[in-house]
Amino acid sequence: MAKKILIVEDDTFLQSLAANKLQKEGFEVMAAGNSDEATKAMEESTPDLILLDLVLPGTDGFGILQKVRQNLKMTKTPVIVFSNLAEDKDIARAKELGANEYMVKSNFTLDELAARIKELIA
Amino acid sequence: MPDDDKIKKCEIENEELKKLNNVKSDLISISAHQLRTSLSAVKWILKMFIDRDFGDMTTEQENFANRAFDSNERMIKMVNEMLSINHAEDMTLSYDFEKHDLVKLIESVLFDFTGESYKRGIEIIFLKPESLAPFMFDEEKIRVVLQNLIENSIKYSNTGDKVFVTVSDKDDVVNISVRDTGIGIAAGDQPRIFEKFFRADNAQKKDPVGSGLGLFTTKSIVEKHGGKIWLESTDKGGTTFFVDLPKKPSATSHTGKSPLTGGPGVL
Repeated sequence: MAKKILIVEDDTFLQSLAANKLQKEGFEVMAAGNSDEATKAMEESTPDLILLDLVLPGTDGFGILQKVRQNLKMTKTPVIVFSNLAEDKDIARAKELGANEYMVKSNFTLDELAARIKELIA
Repeated sequence: MPDDDKIKKCEIENEELKKLNNVKSDLISISAHQLRTSLSAVKWILKMFIDRDFGDMTTEQENFANRAFDSNERMIKMVNEMLSINHAEDMTLSYDFEKHDLVKLIESVLFDFTGESYKRGIEIIFLKPESLAPFMFDEEKIRVVLQNLIENSIKYSNTGDKVFVTVSDKDDVVNISVRDTGIGIAAGDQPRIFEKFFRADNAQKKDPVGSGLGLFTTKSIVEKHGGKIWLESTDKGGTTFFVDLPKKPSATSHTGKSPLTGGPGVL
């Protein structure tokens, strides 16, 4: 069965590009533009991996990451933070909150992202 | 004007300059984030075209898509450089010495590089000492030192290469070394390698966009700690950078939270 990826990204253009690529790579994709949508998606179906943006309207990516790690079903679910914030303090905070990987969007192409995802949930 | 008044006026002006510098830094950070969002979209789409995700292309179309991709990559690098220059300037402002665990700090820096080293197919091996008690250093500044040295070792290595990060306890000092099997630094370039804005020819060839500030900043930080930095390399390949950090910062370094001494507070 296809692995499920939840993309949390408020920029609809970037979201649609990432979703398009990951579907082409054989993943099932759920997409959310904010924390509420992400929570709803996770209740409907537990993702195998979460691709998480940090700058979001309302509760930000750090807040979502905290909630994910508190959810007993998702304590070990791989989370890739995929953001264009790249300051040390942001990276350190994401790591503290339990992110598995921190990737700066503009430094990776989507095929590189897909390859990394496959490694994490092979 | 009496001296006291002059000093007071300078202090007020200095505070204002610091505030202005913060505004400048924030502005650069925010615009960099915005720029990166658009640049990411262009990068992703062009790569999908080049990879034929949207169907076949003529040779001419592919040629132009590749050129557009490269041009966009240069812009991304420029944004990254703009941020690192901004960071380097903020670096010189104040030092904060406290006891920290160096091994833990290196592990955290290496975590930040997992994506980059994976992408470039370079393995980083960390050789830790059996034990190392926390000692006095400015954690954020030493983080920059480690980042610069490790980033360079990755940047100037080739796919399949290994990078070794070693920490050893030498009684009064702690020695950090970062060894790569990359392009190396010619003997003639070595005396200038820590100069502001200097970039060796082979480095420029391998990576055309670079500020030439990384090793300059690195050296200033190490020296503020009363430590020293040196290197061993040949242009046949392979470079090792060594850093000695004293466990007790010497008289040349400051203790506690203190503003920059020996110059104006703001660059």
